[in-house]
Amino acid sequence: MDLGLHRDVVFREQLATKYLYRRLSADLVDALESHYLECNECYEEVRGTELLIRGLAAPVIERRQVNDVTVIRFTESSQLLAASLELAELTKAIRVEKDTKVLIDLSKVSRIDSTGLGVLMNCYCHAVKNSGALKLLHPDASVKQVLNVTKIDSVLQTFEDETAAIRSFDRLQAPS
Amino acid sequence: MQFSDEDIEQLRPRVRFKVCYEVGFLCPDVDDIVQETLTRFFVAAKDDKVRNTAAPGAFLNGICRNVISEYRRRAQRDERMPETVPEPAGKGLQDADLFEMREAIASGLEQLSPRDRRILRAYYLDEKSKEEILKVTGMTDENFRVVLCRAKERFRNIYLEQTKHRGL
Repeated sequence: MDLGLHRDVVFREQLATKYLYRRLSADLVDALESHYLECNECYEEVRGTELLIRGLAAPVIERRQVNDVTVIRFTESSQLLAASLELAELTKAIRVEKDTKVLIDLSKVSRIDSTGLGVLMNCYCHAVKNSGALKLLHPDASVKQVLNVTKIDSVLQTFEDETAAIRSFDRLQAPS
Repeated sequence: MQFSDEDIEQLRPRVRFKVCYEVGFLCPDVDDIVQETLTRFFVAAKDDKVRNTAAPGAFLNGICRNVISEYRRRAQRDERMPETVPEPAGKGLQDADLFEMREAIASGLEQLSPRDRRILRAYYLDEKSKEEILKVTGMTDENFRVVLCRAKERFRNIYLEQTKHRGL
């Protein structure tokens, strides 16, 4: 199958982007992979696109402390998907810093997949084990739908109002 | 069909990327799968089993798919599904590499103008079509291509630098 990758730069970018987002049909994935396995130029272009997407999607995690609650916010448009840098960043922001009362503002998160949910649950378990809690703030419609379908919203409390969310941590027992 | 050491070194990262794409970038067995794929491919090439020698990519891709399928079948047979999601660590990019890569990516982004960053975000992250972007920004098709090519050139070079630097 001739994909015409060398004929149009924009078309190649479109294909590479869809490939990296795993939105290509199996036939096209097969054709693209067969091509880049023998074409150095296209392989480097795909890797360049991957880095560019990573760079553009690189989250800037902002942390602030409100009383004893850590509020974590993505300041740029982010995605919590498998192998995305955001997940490592989020895990680090919660687990390495040993925060136990955490409120994650998801307003800038446009996508989440099972790995992203797994990491959220992992961080939640970490917080609960340390007598804390992890709650979510402002998930957008698509994220909310994923949380609802997977019933994770019955475990992770979700809020639309930050003040109410922070106040809800008061009911937690202080660690002995 | 004969391959030089240089051919092998060029093929390895490409096969590795394909394998990572299939089994995940944190899979601890990526290098084993890559090695097995390359071994089978070179044995087949030595025995003249590659029909289209001018375009061996499809053949190599087919071998790689088979090796991955065998790996998955074996893994399913041998191991129970983990009860908790494993921590992303170990075989992925090491912290230092990730940090270094991040620095390079961040510096690449800094070299782009805010307008270019906005356009590229719309194209790559929000997945707006070229036509939509042209309509909203009032750019010409040529301008758009320039922005795209300039950014891609920069990031392709970052990839090449990082590859060279980390010996991948």
